[in-house]
Amino acid sequence: MSSLAARIALFLLSLPALAGAADLGVNGTTLVSFEQRSTPGFERQRVIPATQFLGIDADHLGNPNLSLHLYGWGRVDLADRSTDEKYTDGDLTYGYLRYLFPTANGEVKAGRFFVFDGVSAEHVDGVSARADLARGFALSMYGGAPVRLDRADDNKGDVIIGGRVSYRIPSLFELGFSALHEKGVTNGQTTDLKDHRQLVGGDLWLRPHKTTEFSGRISYNTATDGVAEQSYLLTVRPSAPLSVAGEYSRYRIKDYFAATNIRSLFNPDTGDNVQYYGGSVTYVIAKPAEVTVSYRHYNRDITGNSDRFGGEGRLTLLDNKCRAGLSYFRTEAPTGINSYHEIRGYLLHTAAKYTASVDTIAHLYDDKIFGKNTAFEVQGSAGYRLRPNLKLSGDLSYGQNPQFNDELKGLVRLTFNYDFIKGAGK
Amino acid sequence: MTFPKLFLPVSIVAGIMTITACSHIFSTESSLPAAHPEAVGEGRVACSECHEDQIKGVLKPYATFNHSQLFVKEHRFYAGSNDKLCASCHATSFCNDCHANELEIKPSIKLGDRPDRELIHRGDYMTRHKIDGKIDPTSCFRCHGRANNEQCIVCHK
Repeated sequence: MSSLAARIALFLLSLPALAGAADLGVNGTTLVSFEQRSTPGFERQRVIPATQFLGIDADHLGNPNLSLHLYGWGRVDLADRSTDEKYTDGDLTYGYLRYLFPTANGEVKAGRFFVFDGVSAEHVDGVSARADLARGFALSMYGGAPVRLDRADDNKGDVIIGGRVSYRIPSLFELGFSALHEKGVTNGQTTDLKDHRQLVGGDLWLRPHKTTEFSGRISYNTATDGVAEQSYLLTVRPSAPLSVAGEYSRYRIKDYFAATNIRSLFNPDTGDNVQYYGGSVTYVIAKPAEVTVSYRHYNRDITGNSDRFGGEGRLTLLDNKCRAGLSYFRTEAPTGINSYHEIRGYLLHTAAKYTASVDTIAHLYDDKIFGKNTAFEVQGSAGYRLRPNLKLSGDLSYGQNPQFNDELKGLVRLTFNYDFIKGAGK
Repeated sequence: MTFPKLFLPVSIVAGIMTITACSHIFSTESSLPAAHPEAVGEGRVACSECHEDQIKGVLKPYATFNHSQLFVKEHRFYAGSNDKLCASCHATSFCNDCHANELEIKPSIKLGDRPDRELIHRGDYMTRHKIDGKIDPTSCFRCHGRANNEQCIVCHK
């Protein structure tokens, strides 16, 4: 809770800065959900968590290029505990100052932010900078402290730095090289890991012809001396309505899972490897109708071969006001207990004031799980726009599955999105 | 000359050299806009319906970023090297509906009024996660291997 108090204090400290902003955007979602769980052999549970998501974007903070961005959530349980932890919880997802340069896509950030760049997919308290350089080069860098979890955070180090450099030839080619180093990582009981996490990698985008694109990425874990991941995607669009894609990925668990904080689950010490390949074909029959069929073959050293295949169709009608979808997928594993059929269908209608949708999903397991071989959920949702920037909606769902004899869930949702511009209306 | 006396002329020369070097080092192209100039409608967009040629600053065709079924499923290939472009239309919080350090609510529940969105873990995923995790644990690891796993730890200690 002290951590939550610190986050609230940080938010309050930022309010004077927000007052000076020329443009202020406030958006959020308030969720109050109701769930009744009936598990064989256990007392019936009733959980009513109330969760508030809140985002604030303040632009033109004394300078047209300077902005502040905050986003986070808080939750209070109004009945039984909704999680295994506390009755209240929250998180500051991000909070950073950003300066955008008018040229070169230059950007500097300071605060808490996410980095998705090459080998980096990190949550950092620190600073980052990026810019396009002359002659097709680009450079990005970041550094700071990794954001820790409330529990089981021994996989996060004290300091992290990383970056990516790339070279581009317009509409033809991009080659990137990226690296990260995290110091002070405690990886638990193991023999061949060091006290740091270090990844280097490359990414490639290639468009040899206007119909063909190739993307690839590879990462090498220098702390465990092995190729953690290699993934490749080839896309061919021979005509406007048709696209065909092929993919291949391979992971060495020892190197890919090395820095997990749940070693008992993501056991990196097994010497296991996972690879998969497959493809998909998408055909746009007419602009509102699209059909995709896909196949993927998995091979894992310790569990053998598995396949997932199926198809889905999507319809977009009435000038995007009506959207519908239907899909079927089959997962075929070496054992029946891991094989199942999945069928899903949905229909969504949006009007100026109202929205309504129904969504159904069912799973048919080859072998019984906890005495059942079917699971289904039906969910209905209806919404009413009280004002252009304020929408009230509610969901109600009912299901049966191997976990629960009956699962009844309800949710009320208030979504808002307001922009305040100084001088507007004058 | 002592160091304090040297400091001013050295600073001026260094400043001039830095500005001169930067004018050659950095691209002179205009930056991508901080936000899409017009509101983009709900549902999947096809950038190439309105734009032609290539995106300035990314140097790739608009058609590469059309939000097709394939693009949505494989968006990690594009986001990992073009997140600046993503940010032109999407606030970071859009990504955080699924990708977060700490998040208790399944995306399909938070966005239960948007069944058309491609959201994972729909329905009874408690049963299915055991199967999917056995077949391909790397798909779990991307989001839950190092973060956002405080609910995983309840059972997987």
